[in-house]
Amino acid sequence: MDKEARDVSSCVATAARGLGFYADNVSDYIDDPDRTNCLVRRYARFGDSPIVDRFVYENPRPDWVVLVEETIIKAVNFLRGTPERGGVLVVNSTRDPEYLLKFLPEEMKAKLAKFVVVDAVGLAEQRGSSPWMFVRNLSELALDRMSTEGAEERLAIGMGIAAPLIGALVAATGELPVDAVADVVADRDAMLRGVAHHTVIEFAPAARTPEEAEKPETTQTDGTAPTAAHAAR
Amino acid sequence: MSVRGTRIPPHLQLPIAGVTPPPTEKEGQRLFPTGNFRFYRPVYRDKTPPCNNACPTGEQIQKYLDFVKHERFLDGYLTILEDNPMPSVTGRVCYHPCETACNRGEHDEPIGIRSVERFLGDYGLALTENPIAAALPTLNGTTVAIVGSGPAGLACAYHLRRRGYSSVIFEALEKPGGMLRAGIPHWHLPEEILDAEIAKLLSLGGIEIRCGVRAGEDVSWEELRGYPAAFLALGQDVGRRLPVDGSGSRGVVGALEFLREAGLGRPVTVGSQVLVIGGGNTASDAARSAIRLGGGHATIVSLESETELLIVPEDLEQARDEGVAFTPNTALARVLASDGHVTGAVLCDATLAKDESGAVVPRLVPGTEREVACDTIMIAIGQLQQLAWLPEYLSDGGVITADEHGRVEGNVFVGGDVMRGPSMVVDALGDGKRAARDIDRLLTAQALEPEPDVEIMPYQGLNPAYFRHAPRQTIPLTPPEQRRASQKVEVTLAYSRDAAIAESDRCMSCGVCNGCDNCYIVCPDVSVLRDARENGHYSIRTTYCKGCLVCVQECPTGCLEKVPELDFDDPADVVRMETAFAPYDGAHAEQSAFTKQLIEDTIAEYDAARASAGGNGKTAFTPNGDSGVRS
Repeated sequence: MDKEARDVSSCVATAARGLGFYADNVSDYIDDPDRTNCLVRRYARFGDSPIVDRFVYENPRPDWVVLVEETIIKAVNFLRGTPERGGVLVVNSTRDPEYLLKFLPEEMKAKLAKFVVVDAVGLAEQRGSSPWMFVRNLSELALDRMSTEGAEERLAIGMGIAAPLIGALVAATGELPVDAVADVVADRDAMLRGVAHHTVIEFAPAARTPEEAEKPETTQTDGTAPTAAHAAR
Repeated sequence: MSVRGTRIPPHLQLPIAGVTPPPTEKEGQRLFPTGNFRFYRPVYRDKTPPCNNACPTGEQIQKYLDFVKHERFLDGYLTILEDNPMPSVTGRVCYHPCETACNRGEHDEPIGIRSVERFLGDYGLALTENPIAAALPTLNGTTVAIVGSGPAGLACAYHLRRRGYSSVIFEALEKPGGMLRAGIPHWHLPEEILDAEIAKLLSLGGIEIRCGVRAGEDVSWEELRGYPAAFLALGQDVGRRLPVDGSGSRGVVGALEFLREAGLGRPVTVGSQVLVIGGGNTASDAARSAIRLGGGHATIVSLESETELLIVPEDLEQARDEGVAFTPNTALARVLASDGHVTGAVLCDATLAKDESGAVVPRLVPGTEREVACDTIMIAIGQLQQLAWLPEYLSDGGVITADEHGRVEGNVFVGGDVMRGPSMVVDALGDGKRAARDIDRLLTAQALEPEPDVEIMPYQGLNPAYFRHAPRQTIPLTPPEQRRASQKVEVTLAYSRDAAIAESDRCMSCGVCNGCDNCYIVCPDVSVLRDARENGHYSIRTTYCKGCLVCVQECPTGCLEKVPELDFDDPADVVRMETAFAPYDGAHAEQSAFTKQLIEDTIAEYDAARASAGGNGKTAFTPNGDSGVRS
């Protein structure tokens, strides 16, 4: 699942950079090497001001969180540093959104502005028995397992279930134009299917005024892998 | 929402080697629950083995085979008695749908379930006391009427007795047993075994058998309706007639009538050249009995071809060994007689065809008639029951009509051959069991329920690598020469104790945990717990299991399943570990100062604690495990 998460963050950062933002796409190298089928994280950031801390590889305050695997919703507090009513959570799941929300405790729900559920597996291009990367043939799997830090991607970026996830994220957040993001996603059709087919549950806005929420100064965007980073203690 | 293990106590929060208990220790597992790494959870969920499902009485076959394997014969016997009152009988005569369904047939050969059942049944008959007698409830004073003391009637009486009801059984013949006595020859089911099983049943108390009472003559429909409930299990004891010329001659008999006379011990005369018309098990039994009693030859004349014969395979083979001849694809066209006695028959080539209603219509080939000499002709082409004494709307062509519960009307149920047409002993036993359950439901004002759906374990769900190929234990037979000579010598013999244990050991326990310990052994994370080495005594330590599913992969029986973790929405099932990621939380970036301070504070705290505890005079503790002493 590393590849799916990497593609989500990579496409968001690439698209944002193309639109003139300062953007950055990093992997959490603590998670990175040879880990599959367990929790790994990927981060993207973009904003109007230059990124100074080039070597910060964790994002403790994600605004957007994408869960490539639904089960993580009951495993980790991935919203610890997210501002109250400021977070967008995208979950790849076929389940009922209300059922999934049962797994979030009140303090995590308080962080959410939008809760998005997208059946990315169903919307993705079906290759072989499943669109998941990690059940592909062994050579592809081996490449996916290796650390890609500083390496070129061997496979096209934005394939498989990553595409509909990106679509749902971009459509639900509305910060980036859909067309601009679609241009950098390899499977454009699946990405647009994700734009069209996802379920959003909106939460009442927090104490912040809507104007403030609309123009964030440095949107720290987190197009993330299974889970997001953790806030400061 | 439950949140376990999210906070590490302050004195353990440091990444100092040796301070934090490792997860292999109990305390460490509590502190570091890794269950939240898991996408799937292994769950023990027993399925129904195909043998249990195929058995009309619902015997828990896998369970008693497991008991026999461990030499717990009494437990095995009691397990059978929960469903089947007469394992000694079915262990001899059952057409074993269980063995036909056995998954082991796809692996090598099916388990010899019937022979193990017979072993347990004979074990039970040899006990001096009936082991279930002490556990029976006291009689509740309600008496149920049962018509027929065949397997269905006896099973119904037995299961009613287990529920506290007494019963009165009306039997038309002079001895109880129905078709067990009047249809099954003694070389298949010895009379003393049947008598012993019936005596065991009667010793439970509350069951009365009135022999020589024929329903419709000695007890009327209105009388039966007068009981709180009734069960009609009168079977089908009237053989179908064959409408051909000369069928009224002496020497033309119904196979069923012949078997009944022989079974009741009445004198019978059989010629030495016997033709048996029919292609089913009754034809086979009649032909084989005719050889024994008449000492001559018997030929089975059937419309069915060799491959279509409805005789169970082992009976067919035994019949051939005993010298029974077969004339397939042939019909009886005419009976030749002189002085009113059979002297021969005209046979004709024919094929089996059925009309829309499913009734057999022989299709004769003209011009193929030929004469054969014979002195006895037995007709075994099906059977019926006289049901004129019942209200007309309740019977249809020799069977009693009923709804899907076997209910005729009111509190009257029906079962066995008189409901289904000619069928197996074990079908009748199952009908009796279900009728007893449903009568109990009605009398205690509960609703009748359809049979619950069951999930049957297919062979493909097992892990066949764990089952080495082992041949089926050979079932001993009496040599054909000895069998041919006597009506009393049993054809099929019993397993020895060792053979029964070895055969039970072949059971693959399809879909049911049999306590093999494999999950317990293969778990790399010490997450399978075992209370006792028995069925269903394992559990998964869900806060620590990482969901690697090795146990599911390696479960031989397929009782372990993977279930998506999100299917479990109980708050107690949510394990959210705050420390799952990055315990150093930004140690290389914005929080490094904070973390550094935390480490220093805790070291100071630790040193202070050691100092106040008196210390032992050794050098001060340092966080990296270095003693501080340089050589």
